Amino acid sequence: MKRRVLALTAIGVAGVMSLTACGSSSSSSSGSSGGNVTIKLLAADYGTAGTSNSTQAYWQGLAATFHKTHPNITVQVQTIAWTNWAQVATMIQDKQYPDILEGDAPQQFAADGLLYKLTDIMSASTVSNLIPVFAKQEDGTDGVAYGAPFTTSARGLFYNKKLFAAAKIANPPQTWADIQNDAAKIKALGGGDIGYGLPLGPEEAQGESYLWMLGNGGGYVDSTGKYAINQAANVQTFQFLNTLVKSGATEPGPASTNRQQMWDAFAAGQVGMVGGSGALIPDIVKNGKLTTSDYGVVPMPGKNAPLTQTLGVHDDVVGFKQGGHADQIKQFLDFVYSDQNQIAFDQEYDLLPATTSASAALSAKDPVAAGFLKNVPNSVVYPSNTNWNTVLAKLKQTLGTAASDNASSVLNSLQTFATSNQ
Amino acid sequence: MTTVTARPTPAAASARKAPAPRRLPRPRTVALAGGAYLIGLIFLLPYLEMVITALRPGNELHDRDLFPSHPTLASFTDIWSTGLGTNLGTSLEIAFGSTALVLLVAIPAAYYTARRNFRGKGLFLLLVLITQMFQPTAMIVGIYQQFLQFNLIDSVWSLILVNAGFNMAFAVWILNAYFSAIPKEIEEAAIVDGCSRVGAMFRVILPLAAPGIVTALIFTFIAAWNEFIVALTLTTQSGPRTLTVKISNFVGEYATDWQHLFAASVIATIPVIILFALIEGKVASGLTAGSVK
Amino acid sequence: MTQSTQAGLLEPAPGSDGTPRPTARTVGGGRRVLRALAPLPWITPATALILFVVIWPVVSMFLTSRQHFDSMGFDQGSAGWGNFTKLFDEPDLPGVLVRTVIWVVAVVGLTILISLGVAQMFNKQFPGRKVARWALIAPWAASVVMTSIVFKWMLNPSNGTILVLMHDLGFMKNYNSVNWLSQQTPAFIWEIVVAIFVSVPFTTYALLAGLQGVPEDVYEACRLDGAGSVRTYWSITLPLLRPALLVAALINIMNVFNSFPIIYEMTGGGPGNQTSTTTLFMYNTQQTSIGEAAAMSVVNFGFIIVVVLFFLRASRWNTAED
Repeated sequence: MKRRVLALTAIGVAGVMSLTACGSSSSSSSGSSGGNVTIKLLAADYGTAGTSNSTQAYWQGLAATFHKTHPNITVQVQTIAWTNWAQVATMIQDKQYPDILEGDAPQQFAADGLLYKLTDIMSASTVSNLIPVFAKQEDGTDGVAYGAPFTTSARGLFYNKKLFAAAKIANPPQTWADIQNDAAKIKALGGGDIGYGLPLGPEEAQGESYLWMLGNGGGYVDSTGKYAINQAANVQTFQFLNTLVKSGATEPGPASTNRQQMWDAFAAGQVGMVGGSGALIPDIVKNGKLTTSDYGVVPMPGKNAPLTQTLGVHDDVVGFKQGGHADQIKQFLDFVYSDQNQIAFDQEYDLLPATTSASAALSAKDPVAAGFLKNVPNSVVYPSNTNWNTVLAKLKQTLGTAASDNASSVLNSLQTFATSNQ
Repeated sequence: MTTVTARPTPAAASARKAPAPRRLPRPRTVALAGGAYLIGLIFLLPYLEMVITALRPGNELHDRDLFPSHPTLASFTDIWSTGLGTNLGTSLEIAFGSTALVLLVAIPAAYYTARRNFRGKGLFLLLVLITQMFQPTAMIVGIYQQFLQFNLIDSVWSLILVNAGFNMAFAVWILNAYFSAIPKEIEEAAIVDGCSRVGAMFRVILPLAAPGIVTALIFTFIAAWNEFIVALTLTTQSGPRTLTVKISNFVGEYATDWQHLFAASVIATIPVIILFALIEGKVASGLTAGSVK
Repeated sequence: MTQSTQAGLLEPAPGSDGTPRPTARTVGGGRRVLRALAPLPWITPATALILFVVIWPVVSMFLTSRQHFDSMGFDQGSAGWGNFTKLFDEPDLPGVLVRTVIWVVAVVGLTILISLGVAQMFNKQFPGRKVARWALIAPWAASVVMTSIVFKWMLNPSNGTILVLMHDLGFMKNYNSVNWLSQQTPAFIWEIVVAIFVSVPFTTYALLAGLQGVPEDVYEACRLDGAGSVRTYWSITLPLLRPALLVAALINIMNVFNSFPIIYEMTGGGPGNQTSTTTLFMYNTQQTSIGEAAAMSVVNFGFIIVVVLFFLRASRWNTAED
């Protein structure tokens, strides 16, 4: 999952304000006994190519079903592509707030005083069903949750068994040294294939980098939650990546290579190893070059041993209070977080659910998802510092250039940026 | 096109000592034509690659060869079924709408400034000139905010307005040159014959300026047709999407759908090339008036 | 007799007599008011469109550049000149500015040189000239976004056509051994190539138009004087092409300076900001700071205004010389 750009969203619109009166009257717990209320939902588009508007279809389907049982509440849906996510910040800039935003983390909005507390917009039973490791990520600086995880994904290392067999490699890699050796062997086959696909381009540099940092005990923050982007372990990690790149074991120019290109190439059978999530699988199927038995998924190797924790990524749902529709938002979100609706979404996009019960239900019927879900409760997550979104945008642009001779200067300038743009 | 009757051109003329035989193409002409074809080919190559990729079946997309071994039209039929027709309609609506609006506002302004002096004319023309220098890319955030305030997000009207606004300057400029080049006496004669000024403009001046109008029309149409950034920014996934935006959607989060992307691009490009080819001669003469008087 | 159109726009139009005729037969002040109002029906729609679509966002960008917005777009109050000082402190900025100058000069200069040659060629008669001219239209008619994407696809290190060709011809041993778009200099050169590629057709047509406007008898006279072809070109053709050249240069400078899709699609300005020009830098900055990006826009506007003034001066000067 990705967050392309800055920030968050908002839908809102002048009309919402005029409805405020109705909204406040119905915010007593009498439910939908008041007048008709329209709530605005602004959501990210997870749609895949060719079926470009399918997230819109998902939400509209939910809204229609919901309207049948709640005739007084109409949910208006607007979806925005991740590639165009900056629109959301502009809406906020123009004070056009949605009632519900699906996409970005709550911390900055919460600091700006724009959000409802989670308990205002979600019933206690739904809140307690959220997967704890992600739910913890929703806290503002005051320790109160302002949002809910909506959809999640977990990472593993995909490897091409055909190339491994051709290069006479017996076992999938466990350590950095394994990756280096195996990649060198695959490259030595001479077919022009890539040993290890290292996407450090702006699309998702933060994810690939994080997996490597974790392998060396590093990360974006220290144990107290303060930024530590230039810690020694990270510098060492990028120095290792630099040697990996220089040896030709990766694709040329990782700082400009996006995840999507490496996944495409892996699906075409031209890459030995690549970090991936479940979302890579449909790409492999579509390409038709690799069958299910031609590739395997193992935990991401670390410096000396495989990672014991996976990288878990999630997107969030938050509720804006300017419209005054807490009660209606609550009814809709409880509906959205039912197992059935969660699973429908995640199966559509090969992502994972954000609730415990939906995870259990999905594991029972989907063995591939079960493989990834197994590690989720124990996953490592991104920082949730207030300015993380700003830092993230900067990381995407420049982190890839750290896999070069000036690793420490790149990391130092990122650290300066992170601490000075609080 | 069959025999070469080259009119004297500076280079050929000075090289020639005596009248050359007319029957066979001279080596010089052959070299010239060969060079020109080569240049033409170079400018076509990327678009040929676009077509070739669109013809590749999915499992040959990443093959390392120049041509697919099993070309297929599947990508073209696939994308049509994803609703490309709607996008085509949106693009047409916006391109026609912007072109009409540009002509509607540019013709009177160009005509009046070409014919009359008035206080504020210099200021007006300076405004037009400055507009010509700006492109929406540089101020896209401002534009987005503005239309957000007017609740015109996801509306074709906002796209028509922006496309018209940014392309009007060029139209005023071309048309101003055309109108200025038409002798004043012609229209005065018409006025003496009983036409009003507006009548004279419609009956006499506009027909004479037709090539300029066609040039302005084509330029606006093509600019609006190919416009991407504004269309991307002023619409969400829930609103009307132009062809260019639809095409960008084939670059997905996890994978790029190259065959479909290029198939859609081919479909989007062909009508414009045809349009251009039809008026190729006029484009040249339209620009002549625009640059030399 | 030659005169640039831009200059023409600001001079009294050749067809007008310079003294407006009375447009209404009222007396005294009323008449003056009416006369002042007479242009309004003609130019108001155009002015309104410009003010609404172009000037309004410019003003709003100015206002934005003085505000402090957090990463979510929430207005934190006035920033004074903070966004500007932050912008000028950006370590990437000097490189971006230098690159922008190289970008504009290289693309416009080479485009005009190439177009002069191509126009000269296409101005001559040869069989199939029309077809060759049509081929030249393709990059003009196709959207720049698509053209840039195709070039990126052809340069794909794993299976791009250009690399397949190089491999088959023996210039490259292994696929995935070179990725030009990931290295600053080769990437920027390829972007310049694409920018030239999409600019040449329009420029060639503008120059063709200029060439066709040169009367035949000028060459005739020149030939009688015994001037060689090179001399004819230098002393006759080029000077007569000057107005067309001036216009083509100005349009190209503005298009190239403002150009966004080529670099955006091919490298996104990366790695880092190593291939960004000011427009790309503005876009990338917008991801982290809206106010600072607006400040970059304002600086861009400043540059554009300078170019416009410079151009006005140059064209007046030319007119005077004629």
